[in-house]
Amino acid sequence: MKKLKWYAVILAGLLAVTALAGCSSKSQETLNLYSWADNFDMDVIKKFEDENNVKVNYAIFANNEELLAKIKAGGSEYDLIQPSDYMVASMIKQDLLAELDLKNIPNFKNVADRFKNPEFDPGNKHSIIYTSGVTGIAYNTKYVKEPITSWADLWSEKYKGKVLLLEDNREVIGMALKKAGKSNSTTNEADINAAVDDLRKLVPHVLAFDTDSIKQKMMQEEGWIGTLWSGDAAYVKAENPDVEYVVPKEGGTIWSDNYAIPKGAKNKALAEKFINFMLDPENSAKNYESIGYSDPNTAAKSFHSKEYNDNKMINLSEDELGRTEWLLDVGDKIQLYDRLWTELKSGR
Amino acid sequence: MKTAQASKRHPWLSIHSFLLMAFIYIPVLLIIVFSFNDSRMSTSWSGFTWKWYSTLFDNRTVMEALSNSLTIAFTSTIISTVLGTMAALAIRKMQNRGKQGVIGLLYMPIVVPDIIMGLSLLILFSQLKMDLGKMTVIIAHITFSISYVYVIVSSRLANMGKQLEEAANDLGASSWQTFRFVTLPSIWPGVIAGALIAFTLSIDDFMISFFVSGPNSTTLPIYIYGSVKRGISPEINALCTIMIVVSVMLIILAQWLLGRGKSDKEKGGSLLPF
Amino acid sequence: MNKRSFGVLAPVVLWLSFFMVIPMLAVIFVSFMQRDNLGNIVWTFSLDNYARFFEPLYLGIYWDTIWLSVLTTVFCLLLSYPLAYYMTTLGPKAQKFWLIGITVPFWINFLIRTYAWIILLRTQGVVNSLLMDIGLISEPLQMLYTQGAVLLGMVYTFIPYMVLPIYVSLEQMDKRLLEASSDLGASRWRSFWHITLPQTKSGMMTGSVLVFVTTTGMFVVADILGGAKSQMISNIIQNQFLGARDWPFGSALSVIFVISSLVIIGLFNRALRSSYDSSKEAKA
Repeated sequence: MKKLKWYAVILAGLLAVTALAGCSSKSQETLNLYSWADNFDMDVIKKFEDENNVKVNYAIFANNEELLAKIKAGGSEYDLIQPSDYMVASMIKQDLLAELDLKNIPNFKNVADRFKNPEFDPGNKHSIIYTSGVTGIAYNTKYVKEPITSWADLWSEKYKGKVLLLEDNREVIGMALKKAGKSNSTTNEADINAAVDDLRKLVPHVLAFDTDSIKQKMMQEEGWIGTLWSGDAAYVKAENPDVEYVVPKEGGTIWSDNYAIPKGAKNKALAEKFINFMLDPENSAKNYESIGYSDPNTAAKSFHSKEYNDNKMINLSEDELGRTEWLLDVGDKIQLYDRLWTELKSGR
Repeated sequence: MKTAQASKRHPWLSIHSFLLMAFIYIPVLLIIVFSFNDSRMSTSWSGFTWKWYSTLFDNRTVMEALSNSLTIAFTSTIISTVLGTMAALAIRKMQNRGKQGVIGLLYMPIVVPDIIMGLSLLILFSQLKMDLGKMTVIIAHITFSISYVYVIVSSRLANMGKQLEEAANDLGASSWQTFRFVTLPSIWPGVIAGALIAFTLSIDDFMISFFVSGPNSTTLPIYIYGSVKRGISPEINALCTIMIVVSVMLIILAQWLLGRGKSDKEKGGSLLPF
Repeated sequence: MNKRSFGVLAPVVLWLSFFMVIPMLAVIFVSFMQRDNLGNIVWTFSLDNYARFFEPLYLGIYWDTIWLSVLTTVFCLLLSYPLAYYMTTLGPKAQKFWLIGITVPFWINFLIRTYAWIILLRTQGVVNSLLMDIGLISEPLQMLYTQGAVLLGMVYTFIPYMVLPIYVSLEQMDKRLLEASSDLGASRWRSFWHITLPQTKSGMMTGSVLVFVTTTGMFVVADILGGAKSQMISNIIQNQFLGARDWPFGSALSVIFVISSLVIIGLFNRALRSSYDSSKEAKA
């Protein structure tokens, strides 16, 4: 009898849980958006919801690899995702992305030509750019008196213990490769090894490796000089005017975040409608003005504030963009990158 | 009794305890202070403001995440506390060889790396065609919380003799009565401690929740981990401050409510934690 | 075991078998497989993943991880025991207040707490400013991104895991024994050493196991407060899934990690049981 009582209690508990979990309203059409945190202006999303009488569920991931692992392992309930450039390529190779129907996205014509037909997704079959940036050097002019022009400047003895690097093997090894005049996505083992040997001399100067909060470290003057994304640099500059940003003469890595639709998405049409809505010049301007990232939408330029259009870190020059290179999928060599990175950081 | 104990308390003991408590609360105080900071980057002080408290409630993503986190934490704590306590009680009575195996099983969730647990559960759920959502997160949290509750309750049981229970049995108490009036009261502090740990783990879990959550069940840690990239908003500091204040108020309220009815606490045997 | 306790145990065993054992069997299976260029699993048997662990690179990282966890456990134990002891000398109401007081800060998100430490410890942070204001130092100290900062963060994170079990076992201790021993003229230290400490062994052991095992799995503290300049074994495991895309190697590392942790816990438990038995004999 008593045993029964216990089971009844547990059963009741489980039922309560099921009821709680199952009580989401299903009357409205929903768009399951899976993106970076705070990547959209919520008012613009609200506008989309009101105009189309739909609900947008905004779920969050923190990095590309988490997104990939989750989609691969069967997390298939998303209609629209935002992978970065190299991840789009990986996902296409693994057959995880649906083909976009550009006919449903007439506003695609507003995207700047530079960002159409990218190397990682020829013909924009699976993706459309959302925003982009370039990895360059940020430095604080209070402490760094020389003009910074080259990646080699990071190696200077003067900044020992004050250098910040991105916590990312492809970015950092790619940077050392660019310094040596090679491609940042090389699969040549000798080049990779040489770049890592060069980095071994830099690592003792490093204050910290960081990706997510590297900008706080620049802002607070913990680090004097380091690798930083252009968009983050704009952010730092707004809080600390002493910080400057440069795309070194050897060139830097360009990255982008994109719209893509996973295979098997339940609401592909609505996802395409959303992309088209966001590419509308007015919506686009409002959205990027609020999140502070660079807007690839050429038609939106006239809707942006002067302040936004004048910001050199958000709107990089053609000259700067001209010496950039995408990170491409390196296939099997990712193992080598990972292993050398582990060795580099553990000092073995 | 109390005064006799108090006299045995060495002053250094009190000093150490208060210092350690201060150590624990220093970051908390900082978070509270920075929730009133005018600057969006919570890095340096730039003036007093209430604005994060008002914008917090308009932030749909945060409020949804908070409500998801609380639902998940309360449900998984209750279920895992019951299951973990049951396991500890049953294993205590075991004598045979299976005992080591069952104990090993119960330790598994503690030792399995989070990412393995998250990914493998995600694969399991997707094989079972279960929709990812609060339900799957709750199941995952119960799975790891059971172990922590078990470990703490069984450390309480390790030092407990069986004489009292045997005496109750001899006096004709049913096994339910023995459990209700003898066993449970004497393990109660262990159960409470176990529940506190389960709640703490659930409200703070990121990696496992990330993998088993669905489009509709973003939890607070998932939101916070994601927003580090853009700088965590001071709204989160405000939220943490509210959570702390509300918890403390609830504790005081509970103490007060339950303290009114009972004047003689020393008798013990109270079934409620306060 | 009788029928009733089997009935009590069954739900837990079933639950864990389904949600823990089945997934882990799959992980063990994958750990013997290989990967292709895209990071997909190739279904051919291989022991390479296990052999790879024994390379000096990974063994060294594993050793560093163990060492950090031992240090964290010892510091937690030394700091927490007196606090737990102090709590048991208070009245019942105050005890509960402290018990909850010690857990509430940990309901604040882990990242937020850890970033608060950054604000405290950085070169222009609260601690450095204070020390410079009172003139103890003239140049700010570099406290962050060092091993010391990692240890501090670890100890801070895991204190409640130590305090709670010790408190739980201290609280049930038979205080009459202490009174008897002081009546017999034993000094405070002698009674503590010979009566209190043995009776709270189970609490200390539980706390140590919890802290030790969870520290080995915790790398975010090392990444944030240590500047990601060193690697822990769980970094490596995570990297295989979120980076190198080598699920089989990640699975093999996890299997090794789980087995070694279970062995460590087994040794702890054995030590606990033998000492418990001997202390019981001593009493009898």
